[in-house]
Amino acid sequence: MRVRDIIDKIFLIEIFKGLLLTLKMLFSKSVTIQYPFERRKIHDGFRGKHALVRDPFTGDGKCIGCMRCTTVCPSRCIYIKREKTENRMVVTDYVIDASRCIFCAYCVEACPVCALVLTEDFEYSSYTRKSLIFDKEQLLKNWDEFVSKWPHDFYFNKFWQPPGIDPSRWPKTKREQKPIPIKRVIEIEKEKDE
Amino acid sequence: MDTLHIIVITILKTAIYFGILMLHVAYATYAERKVIGHIQLRLGPMVVGPHGLLQPIADVVKLIFKEDVIPIKVDRTIFKVAPLISLTAALSTFAVIPVNKNWVIADINVGLLYVIGIAGIGTYGIIFAGWSSNSKYAFLGGLRSAAQMISYEVALGLSLVGVILMAESFNLTEIVNKQSEYWYGMFLFPQIIGYFVFVVAMLAETNRLPFDLPEAETELVAGYFVEYSGIRFSLFYLAEYLAMFCMSALATICFWGGWTIPPILIKNLPFLEFVPGVVWFLLKVYFHIFLFFWLRGTLPRYRYDQLMAIGWKILIPLALVNIMITSIFKYYS
Repeated sequence: MRVRDIIDKIFLIEIFKGLLLTLKMLFSKSVTIQYPFERRKIHDGFRGKHALVRDPFTGDGKCIGCMRCTTVCPSRCIYIKREKTENRMVVTDYVIDASRCIFCAYCVEACPVCALVLTEDFEYSSYTRKSLIFDKEQLLKNWDEFVSKWPHDFYFNKFWQPPGIDPSRWPKTKREQKPIPIKRVIEIEKEKDE
Repeated sequence: MDTLHIIVITILKTAIYFGILMLHVAYATYAERKVIGHIQLRLGPMVVGPHGLLQPIADVVKLIFKEDVIPIKVDRTIFKVAPLISLTAALSTFAVIPVNKNWVIADINVGLLYVIGIAGIGTYGIIFAGWSSNSKYAFLGGLRSAAQMISYEVALGLSLVGVILMAESFNLTEIVNKQSEYWYGMFLFPQIIGYFVFVVAMLAETNRLPFDLPEAETELVAGYFVEYSGIRFSLFYLAEYLAMFCMSALATICFWGGWTIPPILIKNLPFLEFVPGVVWFLLKVYFHIFLFFWLRGTLPRYRYDQLMAIGWKILIPLALVNIMITSIFKYYS
């Protein structure tokens, strides 16, 4: 054993083993994805840029101003301005400070009307902090932007429904949540069929 | 008239050498990034040009147009002169290096001594840079480099003594010619200990990994050139790569038979005779350059005391033993 060690040391066996390994790696296929030219498939449940779902009928957001998202948000980055007019709650502004957001998606899970979505868009870095504070208009625009790139007619993410809780305890809209229609035409056609 | 003729021819030769060398250095940086990248399962530069082939040119353009920051409290004269000393020293070594039969700028009799001596002058540039930067990291980097260069210069010189004994000359052309007299055509086989010592010493001499203690990012940020930026920094970079090429050429000439190939190969495969010698020379140099990158991709950096211990306790005694064995064989044959 000792003689072997001495021979190993004199002839630098370990260094040559290492060199052989790196040579083998040199001729093996590299794992790089050349990002701007080729992209990775985004997995289910990816949480990216925030967006408010635009209702294809009213053209406005679905938010009813119930304040659940604000309450549940651990980093307190959602601010809702609402007014009571004619016995109805109207959301005048909905602000998300994306620079503070931790992307836990609790707000998406808590929302009873499925108005809020964390889209799969992840390229929104910017030079100013101000542009990362999304107001209601910007959030609706985010949805439009995301939808314009989405290849299918419906958008649904199974991770929106809180896993681990008995579905009977979810809010009704959550329980009956269908894929979000993207174009108004489809929705109308469906209505006609019924 | 005749003197003028020689001067003009020499200047032309130098210009051609210089151009080819610069191209080689530029693409050595590219090759290094590619080789290290593929070793680490990355791709290396890919965007500029096909497979990133224009990357070195883009780098040069970037370095030229970058802001050249000189800190306030530096010794301005020495700070500006230091990279030039390094670069000049690295460039002048190529004056005596023959790339083919009679393809050499200056065929002098003490070529080997000249190369080793001039390569050592590069240390001045590094020490000057470290001292004049007025920063303790740069200063430590410079000091380390000086200590390392001096200790490994000894091993480098001693490892070449075996070659000198066998060739009975300091002239680099002579050394190559002498090698082709043997049937194996290389001093690599009788001088294998010398070659091993030379390769290790050459890594340390050019401040390459695993012996790049003067740069050691983790402890000294970047060593002696921390305060340099833009084109001044790139001059140091250039000097380092030129030194790499110089050492590779020296290894090729002294141990691998320069532009010749073993006579036994020519005897068996006669068509190899028609390949120009410069091709063999370049192939051997590229192999050594690749060795630099390969070792860089494999070995971790040595600790400073380990570096010194290897130099003084292993390499120098090994080189001395090699000299003794060579002398005894030389005496009895």
